[in-house]
Amino acid sequence: MRIALINGSPKRRGSASGCILQHLQPLLEQDGHATAAFSLHNPELAPQDAQGIGECDVLIFALPLYVDGLPSHLVSCLMQLEESLAGSGRRQTVYAIVNCGFYEGHQAKWALNILENWCHRTGLRWGYGIGLGAGGMLLSVENVPLGAGPTKSLAQALRQLASRVSQGAGGENMFTTMNFPKLLYKLAAEIGWCRSAKANGLKIRDLSKRRGADSRG
Amino acid sequence: MRLVIHDLESDYFEQRFSGQLSNWHVISPTTPIHHCLGCFGCWVKTPGACVIQDQYANLGELLALCQEVLIISRCCYGGFSPFVKNVLDRSIPYIHPFFVNKHGEMHHRRRYSNRSRLKVWFYGETTEHEKITALGLVQANAVNFWWEAAGVEFYGDPAEMEGRMP
Repeated sequence: MRIALINGSPKRRGSASGCILQHLQPLLEQDGHATAAFSLHNPELAPQDAQGIGECDVLIFALPLYVDGLPSHLVSCLMQLEESLAGSGRRQTVYAIVNCGFYEGHQAKWALNILENWCHRTGLRWGYGIGLGAGGMLLSVENVPLGAGPTKSLAQALRQLASRVSQGAGGENMFTTMNFPKLLYKLAAEIGWCRSAKANGLKIRDLSKRRGADSRG
Repeated sequence: MRLVIHDLESDYFEQRFSGQLSNWHVISPTTPIHHCLGCFGCWVKTPGACVIQDQYANLGELLALCQEVLIISRCCYGGFSPFVKNVLDRSIPYIHPFFVNKHGEMHHRRRYSNRSRLKVWFYGETTEHEKITALGLVQANAVNFWWEAAGVEFYGDPAEMEGRMP
């Protein structure tokens, strides 16, 4: 099968979604599938991307959770894809991995439902989706072999996904989290924000800055 | 302040709704908006303000002044239209990068002390699954923005909203 790996992050480089797809790609190729990578960074869908995605048998999206849903530019791309794919009659199968900055993967529930609804509108078949919690740490462990340490749950989810793709199978959405304690994840994230602020010449208290009428609070 | 965020054609909105919303601050697609780049500059470079230099850099500050937020959006697959979602994506400087536990879940800490009432009016042809998604989405948004979800309504056509303004 020809499988589209679609990165739905607005980031051109260094996205957690790209990291997930890099882990997934060899799992699919070792099963004999051909993969084609697409990066939807902008609200305007390039004609060659629309055509390339239309030529694939399976679509796998990886995207970040933005305000409980899809990033706005990706909604725009999906509307354009709806137009280009709806008349094709191919009825491709769609899978998705949504990475959350929050610890709980189930906070991706509504984003996955939106993608499922898009499939129904477009005449595509919804396979299932994965909500991955603690996705904020993906880049910091990108060199850790898949399946080791904090990537154990991710590996299980991606291997199951690759297997189901090969079988053409669907399923219920699944929700998982990186193997890392919640308290440490929270602490590591907050240390990271403080370091970034300092690197930008700010003080830690500046992170709490209030602007405008509420600035005295 | 009362704020309405909508994606309707400006002429249509002016003709049909502006009289009923004369004391509301209006965010509409008349001014181009750049999409969020996920850079988190609004948290670690210019805390509380987006680093993208367009007319939407101050959404966090604006939301801090609100007691009521009304969103009027085409329902797209159970979510918001690209413009309205873009406004929400660009609104994260309203909240704080640090995390708190709320109802057993991780959420961002609040930056401001106000608590807006959020009403959402979706329009367009909508399936039952999309309605269920939209209801859940708005509830989740209210939790994450520290707002009070004050109702979600669905209309087949924006004209049905006339006379319904709060």
